[in-house]
Amino acid sequence: MTIPQISIRNLCVDYITEAGDVRAVNNVSFDIGKGEVFGLAGESGCGKSTIAFALMRLHKPPAFISGGEVLFADDEGKQQDILQLSDGEMTIFRWSQMSMVFQSAMNALNPVIPIVDQFTDVIMRHTNKTKYEAVKRAEQLLQIVDIHPNRLTDYPHQFSGGMRQRLVIAIALALNPKLIIMDEPTTALDVVVQREILQKIYALKEEFGFSILFITHDLSLMVEFSDRIGIMYSGQLIEVASAKEILKNPYHPYTHGLSNSFPSLTGPKKELIGIPGNPLNLLDIPTGCRFQARCTRVEEVCRTKENPLRDIENGHMSNCHLAVAGESIGIAEVTTA
Amino acid sequence: MGFFLRRLSFYFIALLFAATLNFIIPRAMPGDPVTMMFANATFEVTPERIAAMKELLGFVDGPLYEQFFIYIKSVLTWDLGISVQFFPLSVNTVLGNAVGWSLFLAGTAVLFSFTLGSILGIFAAWRRGSKFDTIVSPGMLVIQAVPQVVTAMLLLFIFSITLRWFPTSYAYTAGVTPDWTSWTFLKDVAYHAALPLLGASIVQIGGFLIAMRNNMINLLGEDYITMAKGKGLSENRIVFNYAARNAMLPSVTALSMSLGMAIGGQMIIEIIFNYPGLGTVLLNAINARDYQVLQGQLLVMTLFMLFFNLLADMLYVLLDPRLRKGA
Repeated sequence: MTIPQISIRNLCVDYITEAGDVRAVNNVSFDIGKGEVFGLAGESGCGKSTIAFALMRLHKPPAFISGGEVLFADDEGKQQDILQLSDGEMTIFRWSQMSMVFQSAMNALNPVIPIVDQFTDVIMRHTNKTKYEAVKRAEQLLQIVDIHPNRLTDYPHQFSGGMRQRLVIAIALALNPKLIIMDEPTTALDVVVQREILQKIYALKEEFGFSILFITHDLSLMVEFSDRIGIMYSGQLIEVASAKEILKNPYHPYTHGLSNSFPSLTGPKKELIGIPGNPLNLLDIPTGCRFQARCTRVEEVCRTKENPLRDIENGHMSNCHLAVAGESIGIAEVTTA
Repeated sequence: MGFFLRRLSFYFIALLFAATLNFIIPRAMPGDPVTMMFANATFEVTPERIAAMKELLGFVDGPLYEQFFIYIKSVLTWDLGISVQFFPLSVNTVLGNAVGWSLFLAGTAVLFSFTLGSILGIFAAWRRGSKFDTIVSPGMLVIQAVPQVVTAMLLLFIFSITLRWFPTSYAYTAGVTPDWTSWTFLKDVAYHAALPLLGASIVQIGGFLIAMRNNMINLLGEDYITMAKGKGLSENRIVFNYAARNAMLPSVTALSMSLGMAIGGQMIIEIIFNYPGLGTVLLNAINARDYQVLQGQLLVMTLFMLFFNLLADMLYVLLDPRLRKGA
């Protein structure tokens, strides 16, 4: 079996608050294979972005990584724990191995220096290229994202939102990283541009073969775009399955609830059912399953014991007590005319 | 270019407005300077003598609008009249000597404190909460809170009077003929300027430090700073090209405002160190009711204020590409 590009093992990230430490990411483990698109979905505040920042070690105090391993496969296929790298090693690792497209890529470019410098500084930092070679590389990257190279000397405000997003993607590609983290890369864009950007990313992935960690709360978008999907709830990964499986045959009531909260683009019209209740307060965690208060199928065992994420069938994982192979909850039955 | 012309015409209107105020205020005050001048005269003051003096000093009789146009004309032709106090020296001569010294003292002090304050602010923000930040940032504010009179007198008392390290007054050694090509004279000027410069700078550093520190802290949360870190760039490049480069934009306005203010406003320092700048001239003019010099002085200060504002406008366009049009 080939080793995955990145293996996250029991990652924990805590936030220090006045009311005590809050574990925003709790024992999360998942793998992303080479060239795979792994989607991470969940409500706001469930820890998706915290994971993204922790992988790049860009989390800011009061957040700190309190445990776990992040194993990254290097060129020789050896696994290296990113969390053990020194700060100096980490700055070299960043962008050359793993780059990131930020949530609001609209603001991710420095407004007062021209685009070309924002390409060349990172290229020259990590390679031995001269300024001239770095500019050549930048021109090449602009062409990859369909922007004319003569715009290289322009400033960020002279580009449209979609173009800025493509610029950020081009910068993310600059050093041919093995993994690109995309933290809601299209949230700020309208649906037409969104589609254009995602198609571009997909084509680039096919061409260069990098892996993607794709984070969004737009589930329908994610199902279309990802190979596998992990669903998070209050800092825990509660279900992992292939994109095809996860909404059709969910093994966790929360996933089931999520899938009923989104309209289908192609299927028949159906009534949208939300998930009652509010996300869990991380300062007041009950014993047992974290989803118990909002779950429609809650049983006695859910209130007493927490279940780890386990393989139900063929790599489809869930942490629900009631999940049994072959007996998924299925899609919502309610349909209206 | 269009931008430049538009700004320039705006500043011209502002100048006319300031000149109008300058015209109204002395005339609204009770008494007139010529009568004041002869108040203590021991000789007989005939009406002819007063009339002759008035004409010489430019106080024309006639309807107000006529006086106003004559005044505006004199402003535009830069004919500021003759000083009452230093008769028969012209206002231009009196101010001309002082402007250079004020420009030197205030300009150097503001630029020095801006540079030092901003650099300290950058480091305080980057290492927010560190020992450096917790000592230097409030420390500079405490120094700034002490009135300038106190700081300047302390400096004078300690370093000039007690330790005798520095001269107590004036811009160069008395009796020396200014020779700007001579190295010895320049050294003498620097030696005399050291304490006034320190006194003028020390109270300003805190303001620039805090402004820069706060701008920086606001900016450090921006996505482009996080992305710069994510790119693995060196700390120097992130601090200076990404954070400070953006944080200094509001500080540039503060800098030009301080420059404009400081030219006429180093009065306390100039008086304590008996420095021959505009501040000293202003004080003497007020004491002597030398309206001509006062008016001229206010006009010069207005001009400097407008000039540095214009400079800030230009600098802003240079520093912030978002303000450039039609690129």
